[in-house]
Amino acid sequence: MEGFTRRKALKAGLALGAAPFAATPFLSYGQGESPIKVGMHDPLTGTYAAEGESEVRGAKLALAEINAKGGILGRKVELLIEDDNANAGLAAQKAHKLIEKDGCSMIMGAVSSATALSVNQVAAQKGVPYMVTGGHTDPVTGKECHWTTFRICTTTYMLANGLAGTLYQKFGGKWYFITPDYAYGHTLQAAYAKILQGLGGQVLGNSLSPLGTTDFSSYLIKAQSTNPQVLILLVDGQDLVNCMKQAVQFGLQKKMPIGGGLSELEVLNALPTEARIGWWTLEWYWNQPNTPHVKEWVDSYRKTYTDGSYPSARTWFGYAGLHALALGAAHAKSIEPTKLARGLEGLELPPEIKLQPNKVYFRKEDHQLMSSEFPGEINTNGKYPDLFKVASIVPGDKAALPASETGCKLDYPA
Amino acid sequence: MIRRHPVEILLWIALATLPLWLGPLGGYTALGTKILIYGIAALALNLVLGFTGGLSFGHAAYFGLGAYGAGMTLKYLVPSTPLAIVVGTLAGGLAATLLGPLVMRRRGIYFAMITIAIGQLFYFIAVRWNNVTGGEDGLAGFRRQPLHFGSFVFDVQNEIKYYYLVLFCFVIAVVIMRVLLASPLGHTWVAIRENRRRALFLGLRTDLYVWAAFAISGTITALAGTLNAMLFNFTSPQDLHWILSGNFVIMIVMGGMRKFWGPLVGVTIFVVAQDYLSSLTDNWMSLIGLLFVLIVLLFPKGILGLIAPRRREVSTPRAPGIQQADAVLEEDGSPLRDSTKSLREATK
Repeated sequence: MEGFTRRKALKAGLALGAAPFAATPFLSYGQGESPIKVGMHDPLTGTYAAEGESEVRGAKLALAEINAKGGILGRKVELLIEDDNANAGLAAQKAHKLIEKDGCSMIMGAVSSATALSVNQVAAQKGVPYMVTGGHTDPVTGKECHWTTFRICTTTYMLANGLAGTLYQKFGGKWYFITPDYAYGHTLQAAYAKILQGLGGQVLGNSLSPLGTTDFSSYLIKAQSTNPQVLILLVDGQDLVNCMKQAVQFGLQKKMPIGGGLSELEVLNALPTEARIGWWTLEWYWNQPNTPHVKEWVDSYRKTYTDGSYPSARTWFGYAGLHALALGAAHAKSIEPTKLARGLEGLELPPEIKLQPNKVYFRKEDHQLMSSEFPGEINTNGKYPDLFKVASIVPGDKAALPASETGCKLDYPA
Repeated sequence: MIRRHPVEILLWIALATLPLWLGPLGGYTALGTKILIYGIAALALNLVLGFTGGLSFGHAAYFGLGAYGAGMTLKYLVPSTPLAIVVGTLAGGLAATLLGPLVMRRRGIYFAMITIAIGQLFYFIAVRWNNVTGGEDGLAGFRRQPLHFGSFVFDVQNEIKYYYLVLFCFVIAVVIMRVLLASPLGHTWVAIRENRRRALFLGLRTDLYVWAAFAISGTITALAGTLNAMLFNFTSPQDLHWILSGNFVIMIVMGGMRKFWGPLVGVTIFVVAQDYLSSLTDNWMSLIGLLFVLIVLLFPKGILGLIAPRRREVSTPRAPGIQQADAVLEEDGSPLRDSTKSLREATK
């Protein structure tokens, strides 16, 4: 029950050698009204293809549910999916295509932050509601926020804050940092340091490692010599894998908790076993035995996608994103952009969609969804999908910066 | 009076009326605008690649500098579209002019490597200088502004009106490039491409001519970059990355680098194929790769190299002195300056 998306229809068309004719949607709708088109851009190729695929799967699950219940305002919903290759220029081009050519009245998507920001600009210029599914960088619902843009995934600040509080409570406040030596790393480290000092902790030291470092031993020895209560690794990609492998060789993970920022089920699954250590935060996890509806949803996912995979936070982003648009339209009784945007403001997601215990709602001031952080520890000897142990579920509004400090001023048309 | 090929007149009519027919054909205005913008960049790169014979693999640097120049002008300085275009173009042009001396003496693979290295330099500056460039997230928070002519306002925030602004810049760029190519300068570039040594022996300071080609080409590429930044009101380090430089080269080779319009044909094929195929299948990159391989195998001179009949070349018998010089060169293969000496002796 994935429904007929345009991509599918086109794939079939291509196989028949009749691609040019297949572009016409051949679904018939009983209501006699044209379907509401929702455009989705996500990386289906390139480094982030696994994350993009998860988001698309989630959105398709939501699509089937929404259409089974009569669509949005009685009109069927059609989901048009475009590959953005995690390239900001291509994403913006695809957003134009979805809005101008295909006539989408809402768009959603993004894994990479740059694509979220570029489509954010297009959506604002065109006055089309845009639901950012991934793309964590703060400015999307901060300095660069627009009235058209809403975001499902949490901000970089929320990720840091959610994990920091948990680590501080569990292990204490004397921390050592290993930070990638470029501007983004410095910013992230400064944010962590500020959060830590706000909690009453202390930064014991900070090693800057150049991008592409393969030998982290000097940093790790230095970190160990200060005897920290927590070691925070802010490096990412291959550098992170190298750093974690060496930390394990040094046996550091037995002496102190090692932590970082965001991790994802897709990333954990791709890590080499010897680098699966430490404390991270997820934004959603499939194993929540005490939360209603989660098990049913995971089962329904596994019935639809029979490749043995489990839904990840990304799947939930896509799922919640499309549902949120439908709920907002139902709430506003309109898909007119400003009414829809107002309808989404303050909207709370119902339990069967939020799939987590805390209250989840779109903050009115910056359109950021207040969804929870799931800090916890990697299950070192676990097998997919059992790769993580959630330590606590931190409510989004506890982790987020106060709306007055995000720098967001919504620019509704007069 | 330069005579124009009838097909070229058709091209101009098609470009002037593009917003009318692109929609019904399954396109959208931004796609047409992007083709024109990439067209300017590819035509400009072809001054170096196709006409002067230097394989520049770093032109995205000037494209991206133009883009960042325009974006930062709009964001931090003045909200003025013409000024953004001028500042961005000058920024990219200045960089190409200043860096030209580093590349002008290099040839072949060394030329390609040094241009790629310079290009990546700017990419990493953009990635690391977070506060100013927005780092990897890209530069947002600016918007192209309406043009004011006295009391008349041309609101380029409208897609179609922006297309015509880009078309206007395209026309200017094409006229400049055509005039240059028809001038002695352009002929000297072709002479350098055909045989750099011989051009040197004729007493031409070939490196200065290569420098000129590089600087002019970089400036016009930067113009394209400014327009690209304002197309989506966004730019990111990906606009500076060597992958984009490589894509420009691929587009030019597909279209035909020996013809003036070849790059535009290549850009059209590449951009349309990317747009269309990537909506059909996740494997669109393989298909574009396959298309490239097929074109290179079947039409080594590019699409236009096949369609347009080659003009008959006028063969002039070589002066006996030059023939001797050729023979000397082939024999000893000594460094250039020695060769110049032997040329002088041979032609005495």
